[in-house]
Amino acid sequence: MSDNTIGSEGRVHNRLMVLEQREGVLKGASVDLWHRMQMECGGSELRAVLLGPVDGENPLGQLLGSGVIHHAGDERLREYDPRLYGAVIRSLFEGEGCSELLFADTALSRDLAPALSVRLGASLLSGCSALPRDRSCSRRLYSGAAEGNFVAASSRAIFTISPSSIPLELATGTVPEVLPLAIPALRGDDLPSIVRQVVMQVGMVDVAEAAVVVAGGRGMGGAEGFTLLEELAFLLGGTVGASRTAVDEGWRPHGEQIGQTGKLIAPRLYIACGISGAVQHLAGISGAGTVVAINSDPHAPIFEATDFGLVGNVGEVLPDFIAAIRDFLKMQ
Amino acid sequence: MIQIAVCVCLVPDTASVFGFSGGALDRSRVTEVINPYDEYALEEALQLKERLGSGEVTVFSLAPRSGSKALQKTLAMGADRVVLVEGEGSDPWRTASILSRALTSWYSDSLPGIVLCGRQSTDFGSAEVPGMLAELLGLPSVCGVGLLEGGQDGVFRLEREIEGGREVLEVSVPVVISAEKGLNVPRKTSMRGVMEGRKKPIEIVDGPTLEEARVGLAGLRPVSNKKNCRIASDAGELAGMLHERGLLQ
Ligand SMILES: Cc1cc2nc3c(=O)[nH]c(=O)nc-3n(C[C@H](O)[C@H](O)[C@H](O)COP(=O)(O)OP(=O)(O)OC[C@H]3O[C@@H](n4cnc5c(N)ncnc54)[C@H](O)[C@@H]3O)c2cc1C
Repeated sequence: MSDNTIGSEGRVHNRLMVLEQREGVLKGASVDLWHRMQMECGGSELRAVLLGPVDGENPLGQLLGSGVIHHAGDERLREYDPRLYGAVIRSLFEGEGCSELLFADTALSRDLAPALSVRLGASLLSGCSALPRDRSCSRRLYSGAAEGNFVAASSRAIFTISPSSIPLELATGTVPEVLPLAIPALRGDDLPSIVRQVVMQVGMVDVAEAAVVVAGGRGMGGAEGFTLLEELAFLLGGTVGASRTAVDEGWRPHGEQIGQTGKLIAPRLYIACGISGAVQHLAGISGAGTVVAINSDPHAPIFEATDFGLVGNVGEVLPDFIAAIRDFLKMQ
Repeated sequence: MIQIAVCVCLVPDTASVFGFSGGALDRSRVTEVINPYDEYALEEALQLKERLGSGEVTVFSLAPRSGSKALQKTLAMGADRVVLVEGEGSDPWRTASILSRALTSWYSDSLPGIVLCGRQSTDFGSAEVPGMLAELLGLPSVCGVGLLEGGQDGVFRLEREIEGGREVLEVSVPVVISAEKGLNVPRKTSMRGVMEGRKKPIEIVDGPTLEEARVGLAGLRPVSNKKNCRIASDAGELAGMLHERGLLQ
């Protein structure tokens, strides 16, 4: 057993983090979390479990830094199955005498962590804005109007961590050791499997994982208005997001909605076009780095939450903005 | 006849003024309403009952006695009864434990065919109760469901959104499902619904308080999203600002 974590008061917590793959590809959010934990633990050993096979040559090559990855590469874990996933994580967590389990905040961890916390008798802290310190972490509450600081009261704790726009400094030189892991024998009280099939949409990166998000609201005027935003997003290597109004109008799919009832995002650059900046929308962008707004109303509340703004009609100023950005990109 | 349970919580209306004093929400300026996500859950329960031609929809809510007024809306929408489990909200684990106990004692031996919850509350929004409740009841669960079909033969076809795609699932009853926004459009209450709702029962039962909370709230502080905005005079200057910050790569 390794003492792989540090509490600032000298308490030692044995941490295990979960690495996720989807369709045989490591999930960006969990790779990001691995590297954030590397930064924090400054060289001491990390321990992670990876569920399911990953395809390609040297598929784990993007995971840098020291530590151990227990890789359960069984084909039966390719698709998310709460029963099998829970069993693998539980047996490793208990076998290694861990006390803290960390996930990236994703659709999978949102589904799995609550059940797992009951099984492990663990405190569950979801949607943490940063890595936990002294078994506590913060999260926005009440549509983003307040921040709560939560503390785990049980000896075991599970944390799911929201994406962050704080830049990563990647450790180079070392790579983790990979150890194969088998699926443990299932217990009688394990729940029946649910038949599940995944339908992926080809296209852009998910808003929650994108480094640049260009979003539109009612001010875009309709679904066609978003063509400009797609062009801008493509240029910046980002993805398109939307306000709830744009989603409710049927202009954009719900998966792109940003905010309290949509996704929490943490890009390094967020550009809001024709979005008023309702508190429920702002609740989703508190993790963003630089915030830019383009809006025809100089009094739109979005400008109060913005670093750089431009007052103007999106139909007129966006083409100029896109052209200007293209010029800067060409210069490099 | 299928038994349908819907778990509902009360939250401050998001249109209210959120003031904070002494590390807590100032409740004197908020009105409590049914959690919007729970309205999707209730609407789905009502549609399921209509689709199957029979069924009984029971709303369970852990709330103080004074919550019965706001819960009246669920009866006006069409629920058959409300079981108000008397108590204060707590951490998700205690809430799930109390609800699970209330469900098992209400239905004695046979669990309801389907337990519907909202994906999350709009106040604390931890989105943990449905999954915990399912595990405590020994049932499978699917969270954040955006489409629910079938049910006639005890099998549901569901869809839920995941990053960059969706999952299509088949589950058999009994099951716990949490509703995502967009699952349906909750019905408005009609005058007739309100009148009929008044005749339906709100049963008040004691919330057992055996479990200790597993998560404590150490502090709560208001935050502001305010930033100092630099307004550009035109699109070219705005692009220049991004360039200066090294954001154009
Ligand atoms: C419980 C609850 C949960 C919610 N959750 C969310 C959520 O998750 N995400 C979310 O986004 N909202 C959410 N909302 C809705 C939120 O309150 C706002 O209604 C919504 O964000 C407004 O969207 P919008 O900014 O696109 O539209 P509007 O508020 O109508 O704003 C449109 C803006 O576009 C500007 N505009 C118009 N024409 C032009 C033009 N030609 N050029 C430039 N600018 C123009 C206008 O000045 C205005 O500022 C929620 C609401 C509730 C009650």
